[in-house]
Amino acid sequence: MPYLRGLCNFCGTGCGHFLRVENNRVRGVYPLPGHPLSKGRLCVRGWHIHELLQTEERITQPQIKYGDRFKRVSLEEAISFVAEKLKSISGQEIAFLGSPRASNEDNYLFGKFARAVMKSNNLSLSSDAGQEESAITLLQGAGWPAMLGSMERLRQADFILVVGGDLTKQNPIIASEIHYAHRAGAELVTISARKTQMAKLSQIHLRPEPGTASRLLEAMAKVLVDEGRIAADFISRYTEGSEKFLKYLESLSLQEIAHLTGVEIELIRTVALKMAEAESAYAFYATGIQSLDHRTMAALFNLYLLAGKLGRPDCGINPVTGISNLLGSYDMGVSPAFLPGYFSVEDKAAWKRLEEHWQIKLNPIPGKSVSACLSDDSSCRVLFVVDHDEEIIRNVKKIKELDLVVYFGAYENAFARLANVIFPLTTYVESDGTYTNCERRVQLSQKKVEPPAESRPLWEILTLMAKALGHNWTYRSAEEVMTEINRVVPQYAGITYGKLRTGWGLKWPCDEQHPSGTDSLLAEEMSRRFCFILNQDEKLAFLPRLQEKDQYPLKLVVGRSNYFWHQNSIMKKTFIPKREYNALLLLYPKGFVEISEEEARRLGLREKQQVRVVSEAAEIKLAVRISPDILPGMLYIPYFIDEMIPEFLHRQVADLEKNEEFFLPVRLEKVE
Amino acid sequence: MYWLEKNQLEQLVKKLAKDYRIFGPRRDEVSGEVIFDWLENLSDLDLQASIPYNPPKFILFPHFEEILKYRYDHRSKKAVIERINLLEPKALVGIRACDLTGLLCLDRFFLGQEFVDEVYLEHRKKLFIISNTCVRPFPQCFCVCTDSGPGAKEGYDLDLTFTGEGYIVNCGSKKGQKLAEELGLKEAGPEASELRQKIIDDSISSFDRFALENKAWISRATNRLTTGFIKPEVWEYIGNQCFECGACSFVCPTCSCFNIEDVNSKTGDTYRVRTWDSCSFEGYTKMAGDHNPRKPVEDRRNKRFFCKLSYSQSKKYLRPGCVGCGRCARVCPGDIGLPNVVTYIRREITEG
Ligand code: SF4
Ligand code: SF4
Ligand code: SF4
Repeated sequence: MPYLRGLCNFCGTGCGHFLRVENNRVRGVYPLPGHPLSKGRLCVRGWHIHELLQTEERITQPQIKYGDRFKRVSLEEAISFVAEKLKSISGQEIAFLGSPRASNEDNYLFGKFARAVMKSNNLSLSSDAGQEESAITLLQGAGWPAMLGSMERLRQADFILVVGGDLTKQNPIIASEIHYAHRAGAELVTISARKTQMAKLSQIHLRPEPGTASRLLEAMAKVLVDEGRIAADFISRYTEGSEKFLKYLESLSLQEIAHLTGVEIELIRTVALKMAEAESAYAFYATGIQSLDHRTMAALFNLYLLAGKLGRPDCGINPVTGISNLLGSYDMGVSPAFLPGYFSVEDKAAWKRLEEHWQIKLNPIPGKSVSACLSDDSSCRVLFVVDHDEEIIRNVKKIKELDLVVYFGAYENAFARLANVIFPLTTYVESDGTYTNCERRVQLSQKKVEPPAESRPLWEILTLMAKALGHNWTYRSAEEVMTEINRVVPQYAGITYGKLRTGWGLKWPCDEQHPSGTDSLLAEEMSRRFCFILNQDEKLAFLPRLQEKDQYPLKLVVGRSNYFWHQNSIMKKTFIPKREYNALLLLYPKGFVEISEEEARRLGLREKQQVRVVSEAAEIKLAVRISPDILPGMLYIPYFIDEMIPEFLHRQVADLEKNEEFFLPVRLEKVE
Repeated sequence: MYWLEKNQLEQLVKKLAKDYRIFGPRRDEVSGEVIFDWLENLSDLDLQASIPYNPPKFILFPHFEEILKYRYDHRSKKAVIERINLLEPKALVGIRACDLTGLLCLDRFFLGQEFVDEVYLEHRKKLFIISNTCVRPFPQCFCVCTDSGPGAKEGYDLDLTFTGEGYIVNCGSKKGQKLAEELGLKEAGPEASELRQKIIDDSISSFDRFALENKAWISRATNRLTTGFIKPEVWEYIGNQCFECGACSFVCPTCSCFNIEDVNSKTGDTYRVRTWDSCSFEGYTKMAGDHNPRKPVEDRRNKRFFCKLSYSQSKKYLRPGCVGCGRCARVCPGDIGLPNVVTYIRREITEG
């Protein structure tokens, strides 16, 4: 078989590729030159996706656990087994953990199964705090929950600001676009405590102390006011809430912020003015793990709004999703906060609308995220899990106590072992489905190889299960599910397989007004005004700078790496990316903590020396890795060394996952 | 030499298809971009299309290939080894001169050293090659600087040069000669050879007008690389921009790094697999030490360009390792394809 056109399914960039299929196996991959975003490039992960797609470590049989042993069963048997159990389960007693890697169609039906069949609103993804925060913040400020600008115009940009996590690692091809824009003349500024590769590619690197990026952005806004560089016309025409925000800025002192952040006033001024002067200005941040906190997102939004750099075709704030269909999962309402199409779960009319579409009575009492269901001492008895990515499984004890755990997955995974029933899924090249990248671009991935005999797409299993529970679900293809999404999710109204088959995807909103999709949010087309976001928590207003004489004088930050970011179980099924991971671990078999050259000198530490990292709650032994990339006063542990997470970071992991601004106060002790 | 009428091309390919699986350039229907691919549909062959995005390397040296299978028999304590016979005859129709030169470099790597690579040899033995002269260069090309085009000099069974009306056919082997005869092609006199040379000369002189993406002045950079007089800052600058994706190696017609893995299948057989690899990966070149975490990326970059351009490496391939196809520039997330690197090195030379 020849090279077949498709898309990479690892991260939220959604790069185009060709897959080489031979004898029903994927034997190679090659970048697709015409793709409007990736333009013929792939990152190290994308270049090895065929290694994952032909792994032997597949789940290929429905299984039911009796005692400690899994027994292979037929699909029908597994479905009626689960359906029988579900008959006596109420909506409060079940929780649904969706997958940001599953297609829109699968996610949509997963949500519908939860809400319509099981009357449960306990529906979430596993690692979505940053994405949810981002959607909420942008909805608040702009009424639009995702990327505001366009990637396709980026190369003409004059100014680009990247805040937080390292995009060269999380979304390399987005970072590459930023790099090309920079090479074409854009000023590139990075704000991050760590000297990331993104920072090395930038002209200016601002390194605020961990936890103070929001203050730095607020200071930049203050500079604009002080220098008379705010976009007064734009503000009066298109925004509301500016008076309050300006008043808040008045209360700030640049001196204090400079001291707090460790960034000089002059540098803050320079960057703020460059941004204001730029005709075309963009900002980027990562969502998902390693995202920003709400306050930093809000500060960034307010800054761009004040400068009038939103609502125009050549400007925008662009959140970047770390996992292939993270955005689409939210679009489909796999979230405790949103119904499909970002209607709030608090919105009564939205529930009514959904009841009409689905022709069924729903339970409008908002549910909880799965991790909340599992960590609270709640009434949860049953758990549905799709394709759990991580090796890190929290709440194992609670999961083992549940009456029923149902796992849907294509690949073998530690989570599956905790299940009572396992359903084998097709991979994204074994069935049709759409995936929405961080640009809001909905792309169709078409079936390229035949799945193992017993594997099914998720939508099909759910359809059978709904039928077994007496619901008249009739979906016969993913395309049919999409025609229902067209009606239920307004942003997707005009997205059809027909259009997707012959093009490069469509960026939502795609509807009657925008039949070929929408590039960026335009102020003239908005039905409301932009709002300055003013819900800063006063308690946060002054974060104390850590004092050296404190018991825990160092700030420990956790980051992600190229090969092992948050999907260890997937990357471990490849050869080359796995080897790269192992290469690093060979040098530091028990993991490492990065420390600056200065700090190492001050503490008298050598490379690879054993140290104890001590926090208030726990401690861990690690090897020192002296790095030129971090600030004195800071320590850095790459997130991928998951072995240390249960041991040491376990209690903090929920906070650590929330955002990159989070740090843990610790001290270092030599191991004698 | 022979003449091939435009409409005889189809005949030629059809005839070839009886004995060979046909590979050649085709356009992707959505992007219009050109890839070198197995032509399920022979009419997809497009000899007028621009240089394909991928080199034909994957046909002889696949991205992922099972090269043998074995099973350990516990009772007899013996491993039963089985060679995988994958190898049907293949024809490359319309390979460009740079890519053919690249293929000859691969030959030297896999066949011309102490150990002959038998898997590669199997692929290579059953190959029919038809090259296609570039009557006009493409934007990314610089084969004139690397002595690898725009016309093929050796290594083909048949060579085609488009005249506007038909093709001049050059035979480079007995196999090629035989096919030309069987097709009953019209013989051409010395005027055909002159015309071919003129077409190639015209193509060379049009590089200034058409090959605008790169101005790679390879020879001076080669000098510098070989003598090692390149400031570390230049490598650091280049290294900082490398995303370590491996693409430059994967798309290069002459890059031959590979990795071997043994994969246990559920049936109890173990497959030995060969995959593409890249010197840009840390794990590939891992050495003990790693005292300065900043250095390795630069060193790896440095190594690749050394491999493509230095004299000592050229001796191994009997030519520079770069054939001037420009692909590594197009796929590089860091914008440091070989032509750009050559530019940085030249800039350093001119700035002292
Ligand atoms: S950037 Fe993301 S989508 Fe693109 S190749 Fe890499 S992992 Fe795949
Ligand atoms: S080094 Fe680059 S330009 Fe030269 S042959 Fe390889 S891919 Fe082509
Ligand atoms: S293609 Fe570019 S970024 Fe990728 S490994 Fe090669 S030089 Fe580095």
